[in-house]
Amino acid sequence: MKRWTEVISIGAVVGVLAIAVLSRQDHGSQSTVAPEPIASSTNSFAVRAVRVFDGQRVIERTNVVVRDGLIAELGPDISIGKDLTIIDGTGRTLMPGLIDAHAHSWGDAQRDALRFGVTTEIDMHGDPARLASVKSQRESLAPIDQADLWAAGPAVTVAAGHGTQYGLSFPVLDAQTKVDAFIEKRISVGSDFIKLIVEDLSAYSSTQRLPTLNARQVSEVIAATHQQRRLAVAHVSQQRTATEVVEAGVDGLAHVFADEPVSDEFLALAKQHKVFVVPTLSVVFRAPMPGNAASLLSDARVETVLSAAQRTSLKAKFSALDRPSVSPGLAIENVRRLHAAGITILAGTDAGNPGTAHGASLHGELELLVQTGLSPIQALRAATSLPADVFGMSDRGRLQVGKRADLILVDGDPSQDVRASRAIDKIWKNGFVIDVSAAAQTVAVAEPIAGATIISEFEEESIASRFGFGWQTSTDSLMGGASTASMRRIVGGENGSAGALEIRGQIKPGFAFPWAGVMFFPGSAPMRAVDLSARHEIVFQVRGDGREYSVLLLSGANEQGMPAMQSFVAGPDWKEIRLPLSAFAGADSSIVRGIGFSAGPPLGEFRFELDRVELR
Amino acid sequence: MSSIVLTRVDLLGCYYREAKFEFLRLWRTPSFVLPSLLFPSMFYVLFGVLLGGGRGGNDEAARYLLASYGVFGIMGAALFGFAVNVAVERERGFLTLKRALPMPPGAFLFAKLAMAMIFALIISLMLGVIAVTLAGVSLSATQWLLLLTINVIGTLPFSALGLWIGTSVSGQAAPAIVNLLYLPMAFLSGLWIPLSILPKFIDTLAPVWPSYHLLQIALKVVERDAGGSLWMHLLVLVVITIAFFAMARRGLVERG
Repeated sequence: MKRWTEVISIGAVVGVLAIAVLSRQDHGSQSTVAPEPIASSTNSFAVRAVRVFDGQRVIERTNVVVRDGLIAELGPDISIGKDLTIIDGTGRTLMPGLIDAHAHSWGDAQRDALRFGVTTEIDMHGDPARLASVKSQRESLAPIDQADLWAAGPAVTVAAGHGTQYGLSFPVLDAQTKVDAFIEKRISVGSDFIKLIVEDLSAYSSTQRLPTLNARQVSEVIAATHQQRRLAVAHVSQQRTATEVVEAGVDGLAHVFADEPVSDEFLALAKQHKVFVVPTLSVVFRAPMPGNAASLLSDARVETVLSAAQRTSLKAKFSALDRPSVSPGLAIENVRRLHAAGITILAGTDAGNPGTAHGASLHGELELLVQTGLSPIQALRAATSLPADVFGMSDRGRLQVGKRADLILVDGDPSQDVRASRAIDKIWKNGFVIDVSAAAQTVAVAEPIAGATIISEFEEESIASRFGFGWQTSTDSLMGGASTASMRRIVGGENGSAGALEIRGQIKPGFAFPWAGVMFFPGSAPMRAVDLSARHEIVFQVRGDGREYSVLLLSGANEQGMPAMQSFVAGPDWKEIRLPLSAFAGADSSIVRGIGFSAGPPLGEFRFELDRVELR
Repeated sequence: MSSIVLTRVDLLGCYYREAKFEFLRLWRTPSFVLPSLLFPSMFYVLFGVLLGGGRGGNDEAARYLLASYGVFGIMGAALFGFAVNVAVERERGFLTLKRALPMPPGAFLFAKLAMAMIFALIISLMLGVIAVTLAGVSLSATQWLLLLTINVIGTLPFSALGLWIGTSVSGQAAPAIVNLLYLPMAFLSGLWIPLSILPKFIDTLAPVWPSYHLLQIALKVVERDAGGSLWMHLLVLVVITIAFFAMARRGLVERG
């Protein structure tokens, strides 16, 4: 009898406690494997029992609640509403979406960046046309598959100076320019800050020189920028020019210089002026592989998320200039000393350049920064709270109540091992989950082509095109060459028509395969792919100086691939040229990025006119 | 004749007097009163108020800890009140003596239970005063009343557990056994530090401790619970109360 009482009692206790434990685990696992559609269709969720890096410090175990795209609650013992999808954060780290403090964003850059948890990029030189949409995008909490931008618009430089070679057309400074008005215009067009370029190439080449801003222009640009209460950030590549811009009052340097060891005088000067430095070791430290590309390409966590174009971009190299620009050791040592002296270091990649890939490279940059002596936490700050503070981003860069839910959840603890930043488990933009797997598979989504066959007839005053982004000059300065080109609409065209496009310039030594001419971008942005598989031939009217010219077809998943070419001669009389697309060997007409008309060797001046350009 | 009158008239009186003298006896035992009443308040001040930042500090934490130290306090009063006293009294032969008295056997249990509840009430009130004055916790009248009720009724499962321990071990062993159960259980069920900042396996296994279930019920009042079902928690506590009471009763019958 005694036995029975105890057996039943103990059995009942054990049974009910077992049920209690099991029912609790059920509860937990149900929340963990919440169905994806729910997760991605809402911008409210909770992460429980997670390590948080809040942009400044690490909180070991806490809960985070996001509601309507904003961080609503944060704390170890907050209750989580039953209406929320709960993600178990055990063993993981939740942190603010990363900020790349130096990027050049076009084409798919913002999508690529977001796929790697970079939720904001600071564009240091880019298309002014997008400045308006940049602001509305970053203020919105709507679902979006792109990183937000803070942008300089085009950099301040001189005609044919560094920055003009990328096929963008924008106003430049000359000796007569009223700098105050020039800068005021930039700000009114929508530049968030001013980027100025002081670069004559002497750090990279013993023979080539580029025109650049003089000391007076540098001072005036910085003064005018401060007049507008904006930051002035300078591209420099030498200690001499860095000293010049810091003395002129610049707020930050867009690269670390590595032409010589940083001097004590410079450290003192930089400290006194409280400048920040975006070292961009990803492009400065580039031997034997460019930047940190080898580390990224060999890391499965990164490699599997790269698009084909990003992979090619990471493998690409800058054109070889004769002066081995910098030793990796010197770049690292200079950053180490700048950091040790208390100079603010921001993580930036210069993505958009060879050897980088938007998003992915920032993870490489974090690793390089740790190699220079920053602690992992300091490196993470340099990619979150610090750039947010410097550039006045009040709604991001920190994981705090009220901030935008731009978040990444990574396996492990990047505050101990910064390479854990690559182990991204989930990314949220504006509180919405980003579907990384799907995005990585869309290598290059070509836009459908508009219905019109005629690109331009040049009958109006402008050189606008009927569809696509339009016409721009394009030269070998992109590859370090020195050839020049300009274009203008002239009166009087083929067969008595009202106008034509005149292209003239000079082929100069500098690049092994010099070229200069114009490029038509059929997509909505430069280099944006368009599907031309329904078209058969390029037809245009041309006359000129009797030289041989080429039509270049840029196509394929890779933006930096070699163009396919067909040549034609521009004689003194108007002549119609028809070039079947099938004749462009190696081109993929379903992914066309640009159609160029350009001159090549021999060296010297050239001039030709184009009219009624068609894609039939 | 007289004995019949006595039972009829003084049945309630028996309960009352037994409880009254039990209270006086406990009240005059500083080794019980001081730790039972002061520890919860002291811990709450240390962890909930000083570490939590006091008024204007983390209100969420202060509310959680108000509930958890309440459970901690009443659990101690019930466990020690029953386990230690019953074991000692049993050893000294009081129980045998009392059984020989013309007193209903329930009066003995009632007195002990009443003591646990009275102490639970006092502890809850003390914590409440600290919560309002020092920690800046503000709750509605209903919430206060519910917390108080949960703490008082919540002594039942721990009384049963204590009673069973008291009937199973010697008077000397009882305090050690209770401490061995009481302190780890308090920690592992999140009474001192919220489970969310403890290692995952502690969190997972927390439901094996009865105190976890009472804590979750109390936390529901201040909206800080982990989201489990109220009925599940109640079921666990009821089963524990009945099971341990049944085993204790059997033990009393067997060993006296």
